[in-house]
Amino acid sequence: MASEKKYWKGFDELGNTPVAQKLAQNEFAEELPVEAILGDGAVLESANTSRRDFLKFVGFSTAAATLAACENPIVESIPYVVKPEAITPGIPNYYATSYVDGQDFASVLIKTREGRPIKVEPGDKGFFNSGTTARAQASVLSLYDSARLSGPVKGEEASDWKKVEAALKSAVEKSKAEGKTFTLLTSSVFSPSTKGVIERMRGAYANFNHVQWDAASVSQKLDVWEALTGNRALPFYDLASAKVIVSIGEDFLGAGMAQQMASDYAVGRKPGAGMSRHYQFESNLSMTGSNADQRVKVKASEYGAALAYLYNQVSGASVRVGALSADAKKVLDRAAKDLVAHKGASVVFSGGNIGANEHLAAAINAALSNIGTTVQAGKSVYVAQGNDRSLSNLAADLKAGRVGALVVWGANPAYAAPGFAELIKKATFSLALTDRLDETAALCTYAAPVPHYLESWNDYTPVAGHYAVAQPTIAPLFDSKPAQEVLMSLLGDSTSYKDVVRNSISARGLSVNAILHDGGVQLSDGASGAGSGAAAKALAGASVAAEEAAKAATGEWEVVFYQKAVGAGFQSNNPWLHELPDPISRVTWDNYVTISAADALKLGVENTSESNGAINGSYLTLTVNGTTLERVPAWIQPGQAAGTLGLALGYGRTKVGKVADNVGVNAYSLMKGGSAYAVAKVSLAEEEHQFASVQLGNTMMGRKIVNETTLATFLADSTGKSWNEKAEFHTLQGTVNANDANLWPDHDHKTMHMWNMSIDLNSCIGCGACVVACHIENNVPVVGKDEVRRFRDMHWLRIDRYYSSDTSHESAEADGVGVMAKYAAMEVPSASPEVVFQPVMCQHCNHAPCETVCPVAATTHSQEGLNHMTYNRCIGTRYCANNCPYKVRRFNWFNYMKNDKFSSVNPSQDDLGRMVLNPDVTVRSRGVMEKCSFCIQRIQYAKLEAKKKGEPMEAGAFTTACAQACSTGAMSFGDVNNAKSAVAAVKQDPRAYHLLEEVGTQPSVFYQTKVRNQA
Amino acid sequence: MHYESPVREPLVLGNKTYHDITLDVVRPVESTAPKAWWIAFSIALALFLWGVGAILWTIANGIGSWGLNKTVGWAWDITNFVWWVGIGHAGTLISAVLLLFRQKWRMSINRSAEAMTIFSVIQAGLFPVIHMGRVWVAYFVLPIPNQFGSLWVNFNSPLLWDVFALSTYLSVSTVFWYVGLIPDFAMIRDRAINPIQKHVYRILAFGWGGKAKHWQRFEEVSLVLAGLATPLVLSVHTIVSMDFATSVIPGWHTTIFPPYFVAGAIFSGFAMVQTLLIIVRKLFKMEDYITIQHIEMMNIIIMVTGSIVGVAYITELFIAYYSGVEYEQYAFLNRATGPYWWAYWSMMTCNVFSPQFMWSKKLRTNLVFTFIISIVVNIGMWFERFVIIVTSLHRDYLPSSWAMFSPTSIDIAFYMGTIGFFFVLFLLYARTFPVIAQAELKTILKSSGESQKKHHTEDDHAHH
Repeated sequence: MASEKKYWKGFDELGNTPVAQKLAQNEFAEELPVEAILGDGAVLESANTSRRDFLKFVGFSTAAATLAACENPIVESIPYVVKPEAITPGIPNYYATSYVDGQDFASVLIKTREGRPIKVEPGDKGFFNSGTTARAQASVLSLYDSARLSGPVKGEEASDWKKVEAALKSAVEKSKAEGKTFTLLTSSVFSPSTKGVIERMRGAYANFNHVQWDAASVSQKLDVWEALTGNRALPFYDLASAKVIVSIGEDFLGAGMAQQMASDYAVGRKPGAGMSRHYQFESNLSMTGSNADQRVKVKASEYGAALAYLYNQVSGASVRVGALSADAKKVLDRAAKDLVAHKGASVVFSGGNIGANEHLAAAINAALSNIGTTVQAGKSVYVAQGNDRSLSNLAADLKAGRVGALVVWGANPAYAAPGFAELIKKATFSLALTDRLDETAALCTYAAPVPHYLESWNDYTPVAGHYAVAQPTIAPLFDSKPAQEVLMSLLGDSTSYKDVVRNSISARGLSVNAILHDGGVQLSDGASGAGSGAAAKALAGASVAAEEAAKAATGEWEVVFYQKAVGAGFQSNNPWLHELPDPISRVTWDNYVTISAADALKLGVENTSESNGAINGSYLTLTVNGTTLERVPAWIQPGQAAGTLGLALGYGRTKVGKVADNVGVNAYSLMKGGSAYAVAKVSLAEEEHQFASVQLGNTMMGRKIVNETTLATFLADSTGKSWNEKAEFHTLQGTVNANDANLWPDHDHKTMHMWNMSIDLNSCIGCGACVVACHIENNVPVVGKDEVRRFRDMHWLRIDRYYSSDTSHESAEADGVGVMAKYAAMEVPSASPEVVFQPVMCQHCNHAPCETVCPVAATTHSQEGLNHMTYNRCIGTRYCANNCPYKVRRFNWFNYMKNDKFSSVNPSQDDLGRMVLNPDVTVRSRGVMEKCSFCIQRIQYAKLEAKKKGEPMEAGAFTTACAQACSTGAMSFGDVNNAKSAVAAVKQDPRAYHLLEEVGTQPSVFYQTKVRNQA
Repeated sequence: MHYESPVREPLVLGNKTYHDITLDVVRPVESTAPKAWWIAFSIALALFLWGVGAILWTIANGIGSWGLNKTVGWAWDITNFVWWVGIGHAGTLISAVLLLFRQKWRMSINRSAEAMTIFSVIQAGLFPVIHMGRVWVAYFVLPIPNQFGSLWVNFNSPLLWDVFALSTYLSVSTVFWYVGLIPDFAMIRDRAINPIQKHVYRILAFGWGGKAKHWQRFEEVSLVLAGLATPLVLSVHTIVSMDFATSVIPGWHTTIFPPYFVAGAIFSGFAMVQTLLIIVRKLFKMEDYITIQHIEMMNIIIMVTGSIVGVAYITELFIAYYSGVEYEQYAFLNRATGPYWWAYWSMMTCNVFSPQFMWSKKLRTNLVFTFIISIVVNIGMWFERFVIIVTSLHRDYLPSSWAMFSPTSIDIAFYMGTIGFFFVLFLLYARTFPVIAQAELKTILKSSGESQKKHHTEDDHAHH
């Protein structure tokens, strides 16, 4: 309707008079007097504008136009000629799939934009392992790793798939003819379709042999459960219903577990009458141990004794107990009492790959009637299946020259199995099906790329009763081929693996579309009768296991292996995982041995600080059974058991890519047959190692930063007045809350949305998934070790870790310690510290100190309680960062996108790595300040969606990247003006408090007091 | 002509005539530069070029080439800025405040003191500009109408106040200085033989004719400008101190800062004047004009302001204790006993203890001792700013964010470069400008010249 209007220039045009018609014909209403000017020489002579002037003007305008063109280069973006269905530029698509990286399994959602996967989010169907760990979050970058193998190679030379398959075929035939084996070496395989392919191989080739081996092995544990249940799989642990949790050396919340337990653990950690109690006995201060209510330092060789002692205490038996400290016994007695009081609702874990210990733990759980309740022996977790014995058999076969064809797929024995590198060459033919030319692939006859999990089809049975699928979210970036297809090619079968998977789905009577939509299906609760006899068998074998456990090797020094964010090392080339500080030591880009302060003194190990605060540490030389590991940096770690050294796996790779080559040392070289610890000789070496730690101050210095109380106090006072004191000011108007003692007028917080975040310090376990999620979501640059060492990490969200100190204001007063000595003592962490984690991001203060000091108003307040940062306006005075009491602002010291210094670490410096950038978030230039925006792009997107629907935004319509990634639900984000939102409810919780409330910043982030359930 | 009590010490020594003063002042301008000047100038120029290199490096690569980090966002940059601004305080104080108070002893030192002011404010101004992450948009701090929409500067920000304070101070000081120079330029012009020189000084002298009307206007403008400049002496450093005082950082958030900073600025400014004038009077043989009495007067000011600063330090400590704020208490304890204790105690020694020697007349009239103390004081004042900025920032509220600071070679080069730049300017000034306000000085010769005073006294005796 609106476009029907017409406007006329005048009545002549309306009436269409001849004059108007004539005028319409002419471009110019009047004839230009060109002749009159140019024809008259005299006029031209006398004109002010001479030919020279004219040329000057031309010259000037050309120059001006040229200069004006010296802007940023224009990057063409080409629109779709034919728009693919379901892709709308600017609108993300999500695909449900399964994250499998050779070690972990998770049910995830993949966010894609314009066909590019850019973010891994937790699965939304509540399937097994629906949380995302830091590693799962970071895995999207491994897709865009420029170190990936782009096509088949033979040695150094490029090859092609035809040649690879032909060579494999002839090698396999030859091996058959020569009576040698055809061996497939993989990490754990829990895909039914893949297993089907492998079975076909077994059927077709009598000499076929499949070896499953995991670098971070749990093989001995699997042996125990195989003996108990007949199923080579770990049981499913139901931590949500466990009231007492005792872990002897198991880092069950940490990296590298087949089953993610964090969310279930958090269920039991809600403060209240039914809160669980967690005891931890361990050598290294693990993330799990940091969350325990009671933690005791025990040497790894004493884990068995501790379990045997505990078994005796709970069952009344008297199996053999090895040497054990009185301290440990005292706490074990308490733990035993608690366990017995919670029969059927408690759980005991055993750490490390030690069969006897695992059997004792099973026996304790059996004695406590936990098997079938919290330890669901009948519900198998199939994610870890590796068998160390089969690898040693393979090694023997290789040594004897009995292997005709070796296919290594998704495993890296040359790196993670000591001594294997020399053996690979002994296979007549070897083929690595790999993502990169890694340590193993480089030694094989052929190496050929397999697709990344985000490019692949597959199906999985990670746990009994759960059938999961994986679907590609992008076409393969390289000339890769699924390993299953390579194997099938031997049989002359050219079916695509995609069809194999789809057929497998259909064969189960499931709808392909439905299952691809959900990412899997819950077929049953997984319970089976397999575990019925387990308890009895566990009890029966306890005394034998105790005898076995008592034989544990012991020595002056025990190197206890553990895993950090990079895990077993499959994703070692992922810079996000290296930049993520270790939750405990807060060290980035490194592995090292952790050593107790007393032992450090004994060995002469020092951690010193340079004038810029960067920490240096001594090197140690470790020798285990004649194998020496040189230049192992030592980090003095509070909470480390005396006589033990912690050493993380997954580092010291040599052929993984430019990011991580030669970062750290290879702990596997000291690890024999997947052992949990090794008895070592240790000596101090020359020189100093440069650490990159993000945190120098390790204790809270007597300040109320993490508010903490005990469960008894918490239960005694439901108002929180006694354990959550609010900062108050005494003014002329009487005593007022710090938030109300204002110099400034308050913002209107009622009319619009008011975004708030609650962080529950009881639920936060410090895992760092949120940190990586934030890094990805917000295109935060990776800055590398040298810059982190200079305290220039760019994390918008960090997880502060504080140790308790032996000195407090109260203790100093009681002991009559002087003020200087007191503060000096408070800086020193306790040798057995209690640990707290506190995620800190921009607090979005409603009276923000940063906003007032910015000279150019680049940081301003929104009407929705947000503190905005306008990058374009920022001139980079850093005044805001100085004036931030929380120190959450991050400055772009360099051009991280272009500066050569960052070319090996910042993924955004190559075309492939740039594909992971979130197109909704600006990449910041050099010289500007940046910080957490509460994921403003998500807020904006949700607001627009609500607007399009014409409805008010629902509570929980979206959340921030960090809150979404948090599997324990520690973070809760939303609009407090919406009474239905979760955050509005928890704001009223008596546990809620603001960080540094007395400064009067009125933050939009609040924390929930940590409650410890101490006996 | 004023009558001056014979009890007062003469301000111009020796048996000087007006012509002697002219010759003494114009000598460095008319003679060729001695070797010593060339050596000094070469060193200063080399330092300056080193600094230029550092600035270019910073602009090319980023502020990351300095030693700053996520916790310590300012260190040497703002330390040097405040240090140079502080040094720039004595000039205006001498020429404006002392003019209003009719302190005639200022006349032989105000020209150089003001030159020093202007040159040091130029150095000071470099730091806040170069320390910006995006120096190419430095004009964003100016409240100019712009094409970016309704963007306007943030008048709440003390950094913006700095922009106004500093630019006002620089422009008023420059004008004031220049006005005073006009009659002296005219004097050089009148004596010049070299036509180029004559031409240049003619332009510089603004057609000064020495008429009564000219003198009257000169006096009036001087008085007006002195009136304008006097509040600036107090305001500039007050505003600089507000960069810190209005923040929330323990150790910065202190209401005592404005007077404490102003006293400190005068303290360091006079120390720098001492350093320079002791050299100038020696090299240019101006002992008759810049007398021991001048040195002594300035030493007394140094002693008084040094003591004020000392009281301020102690007050800070007391308030930290008395406030009961644990962050504040820790901040000050950390200053004195933390990792930067050496900076704190350098500051205390240089600023509080060393000026106390000036209570002794023997010491405050000793040139060598004065020279040493004047340098010590400026070292101390540098440390004061370093202590305030770095030790407050490096350990503030959350121990998780605590860090340390150490300068890089670029930090050092930039700082040394400004020292070089300052001396390049000062050395050029010393050879081309009349270093003593000779026209003004001549007005007091009859009343305060040594021989003239002696003459008066004799006359007086003769009459009685």
